[in-house]
Amino acid sequence: MARLIRTEKEVEGRREDVWVVVEEDALEQWPAGPRSVVGRPAARADGLARARGEARYTADVRFPGMLHAAVLRSPHARARVRRIELAPALEAPGVRGAIGPGDAPELSPECEHEGAAVAAVCADTPAQARAALALVEVEWEVLEPLLDPELAVERGSLLEQPRRRDRGDLERGLAEADAVVEATYRTQVVLHNSMETHQTVCRWEGDVLEVYTSTQYVWGVREEVAEALGLPPDKVRVVCEYMGGGFGSKNAAGDYTFVAAELARRTGRPVRCALTRREEHVAAGNRNATTQRLVAGARSDGTLTALSGEFVNAVGASGWVSMTEGPMLMLYACPNVRTTLLGAKLNLPPAKAFRAPGFVEGTFGLECLLDELAAKLELDPLELRLRNYAEADPGGGRPFSGKELAECYRRARKHWDRRHEVRARSTATVKRGVGLASQVWFGAGGPPSYAWIRVGSDARATVVTAMQDVGTGTKTTLAMVAAEELGIPVEHVTVAAGDSLRGPYATLSAGSSTTPSVAPAVRAAAADARRQIVDLARQRYGEDVQDFDLAELLGVLGNAQILGTGSRGPNPAGMTALTFGVQVAEVAVDVETGEVTVERIAAVHDVGRVINPLGASSQVEGGIVQGIGHTLSEQRLADPETGTILTRSFDAYRMPTIADVPEIVTELVDVPDAQLTNLGSKGIGEPPIIPVAAAIANAIRDATGADVRSLPITREEMLRALAEAREKGRARGAPAAV
Amino acid sequence: MELLRPSSLDELERLDEAGDTLLLAGGTEVVPLLREGLVRPGTLVDVAGLVPRGVEGTRIGAGATLAELEVDPQVPEALREACRLAASPQLRNMGTVAGNLLQATRCWYWRLGYPCRLRGGERCHARDGEHREHAILANGFCASAHPSDVAAALVALGATLRTTRRELPVRDLYRVPTESDLRTTVLEPGEVALELDVPPADASTYLKAMDRKRFAFALVGVAAVRRGGETTVALAGVAPVPWLLDGSLDEATPLPGNAYKLELARALVARARAAVA
Repeated sequence: MARLIRTEKEVEGRREDVWVVVEEDALEQWPAGPRSVVGRPAARADGLARARGEARYTADVRFPGMLHAAVLRSPHARARVRRIELAPALEAPGVRGAIGPGDAPELSPECEHEGAAVAAVCADTPAQARAALALVEVEWEVLEPLLDPELAVERGSLLEQPRRRDRGDLERGLAEADAVVEATYRTQVVLHNSMETHQTVCRWEGDVLEVYTSTQYVWGVREEVAEALGLPPDKVRVVCEYMGGGFGSKNAAGDYTFVAAELARRTGRPVRCALTRREEHVAAGNRNATTQRLVAGARSDGTLTALSGEFVNAVGASGWVSMTEGPMLMLYACPNVRTTLLGAKLNLPPAKAFRAPGFVEGTFGLECLLDELAAKLELDPLELRLRNYAEADPGGGRPFSGKELAECYRRARKHWDRRHEVRARSTATVKRGVGLASQVWFGAGGPPSYAWIRVGSDARATVVTAMQDVGTGTKTTLAMVAAEELGIPVEHVTVAAGDSLRGPYATLSAGSSTTPSVAPAVRAAAADARRQIVDLARQRYGEDVQDFDLAELLGVLGNAQILGTGSRGPNPAGMTALTFGVQVAEVAVDVETGEVTVERIAAVHDVGRVINPLGASSQVEGGIVQGIGHTLSEQRLADPETGTILTRSFDAYRMPTIADVPEIVTELVDVPDAQLTNLGSKGIGEPPIIPVAAAIANAIRDATGADVRSLPITREEMLRALAEAREKGRARGAPAAV
Repeated sequence: MELLRPSSLDELERLDEAGDTLLLAGGTEVVPLLREGLVRPGTLVDVAGLVPRGVEGTRIGAGATLAELEVDPQVPEALREACRLAASPQLRNMGTVAGNLLQATRCWYWRLGYPCRLRGGERCHARDGEHREHAILANGFCASAHPSDVAAALVALGATLRTTRRELPVRDLYRVPTESDLRTTVLEPGEVALELDVPPADASTYLKAMDRKRFAFALVGVAAVRRGGETTVALAGVAPVPWLLDGSLDEATPLPGNAYKLELARALVARARAAVA
């Protein structure tokens, strides 16, 4: 029976109260531990199709007569279009249409960052479209860009009011401290670099606009496009069959979608608009840089008395000020905390959500600071964390729905205990050490999300939900849940997803929320189908049908198909539902050349019940590899004078290669969150990237005595920190004279 | 743009009199330059079938790929290691040794088409801007860094290049660009590299510091070659040309953002010398 409830919804730290329709979710959670399907490693249902190139991504969508669009983007960080002439482009070979500022949402004459969309043309081939762009005549009024976040703060150029959070009495906390540490940490701009660049193909079929797009939110694109084009939402069909990654950068429709839609409308032809890799490095979003001025105070036994942070997010021309202060507010039971967060508005490409936005940056600062505090107090870093363990939500005392961080620490201890042996393998020039860092993040998901399931007498089932699998393997996860509930093999379940015309609403794939939001709805739908089938079987076989497996009863259906429906129920009221984890990194540092080698990372995470251990460990590995890039080699650089992006290709922007990947040991606590949904599962997409940088930096300190406080830890940063440590007389093993 | 595939070197010589041509072999450098619009030749001449390949004793065909050289036991260790540490296996399978010697700088300002001094412009944008990867030697006019690992190894090895017109030491192939002459090599239009002669060494090595473990251009690369009691050292990534270290690194003029390269170079030079001692 459907009912309307008011519930708190949270996405990546943004909370709001919403009314949603849910159905009765009276299902008991399954007992902990592996079941017949759930909890056992399953290969991806579509793995072979992906590997063979058969999977149809947006990049593979080709329609007869399809045109290719190219977008004219501002070459200036701040400029105004005084005059624009599209006519010369329209006369170029193959060109079928051109639009300028105001002709489509997000095409504007006011350019607040390099890469801002101004105009677009479409032509028979991508090369013709790009060539025609060069013929568009633009008269620019180039304006002075604001590029320095400190200057922006000084001038009050902020994207929103400063966000201040106060808990307890900071001054008193500092006065009570036996030791206080202060440090400034900096993180850089990094790029998502999804394998599939941002792109959309639009096609008008009568009065329906079909939008084939690489997106993390089928329903959000439907809503956004309908609103922008003044269409009823049911006249917009959004399809994302296979998706080549987004990491937070594909939460919204994007200029390319509006360009394709408008040019398709004007030309009457399907139009594809795909960003090139060069555009991707400028105009597709990024993780913003941060500056974090942090203070921690503790008693001599390690009990935290004070934490404070002044955070500046260098967000860019627009965008959301992500929760860089989140870890400081949420990770430890510290009574006195004060944070201030500023979002600097700059003439630089806007930040977009990027795998645990804010928390990756904030955890680097906080967890390095904790280790600096441990060093000052001469305490073991692990003991310091245990001493400040938060048994309840430190931001208000609400109970946690489930928290197994203590178990994570317990399991991490064997990895932490390797440090003596690891350090002993140091040589005169290569110093080894071990570091750890903890992690807190959201990831409980929430309503609304809906699923249908169709079951036939052949004991095959199809799960239908207009959810997108962003490449994480969610379709496989959903099939496992349905198979478990129905008691049929997972291979007998097909998941039809990614089409707003052919399935019910499902969540935005962000905040590690897809599995914990959609999988409970799938289980509910499967249970609904099961109940219906059992009821039918009872009519024929009597009451003892309960003793039979569902598959044995399905014969009663004949040619009928049973449709079960399910929805995601609410999160537990009055409780805080979060994910936790700890990682232990082992590094080797060449103290003469500043070369850092990550040799091993052990990751222990608590995300409630693990549905597919293979999929989950893949997420952990992916998060750690992406985290290593963030920590050691990736940085998007802009020219300090003009604000134009310098690192536009993969030779200049350095993502890790397989040679940079260490041994990765994954352990998942796998205890269902007893309060959370009919599954007790949380998301694993984001948690693994969060502690990587701090664990590595702390291992570097353990190995060398050097404090690295800026990311990435390039040769220059490592050599600088080593020199500083030598000056302070703290270095382990001075480098050979050269 | 026209693509020509001449059947002999003579035919190639005749073609070149037309001018406005660019030679293409492995394509790992030329194709990206074309795609970015950084070179716009009227004619592209495919010389892959014309220039010698393979290794015979001390002689290496200009068309030999880096992948061939890295596994050939006739090739001195410094050159093999320079090849092995360059690029990725896919690029080494295509890229030729001569093409590697003639590659352009990775300076991001130059690669993005900034009107910099190397293009005849007024300013070296890197000097005032982002230059962590740039030159610390001979960087007064243009701070671009030469990216070739192979070139540093060949300079240290004292290799000789034979072209269609002359023979010259590899070290003399390069020139530091000046306001009056922006070229970084002395090759003339139409001159084609044919063969390298790499004299044997008693010991040699190549060490490379990069931003990740593999598949990045050198922040600093150091080749050291010992013959008898004499060791020759050359560096990649520190000057607009491969740098034969005949003086001291004390003459370096690092910029504010790349002084670390000097420390790195000193450490690697000491190590490379020790490795061949």
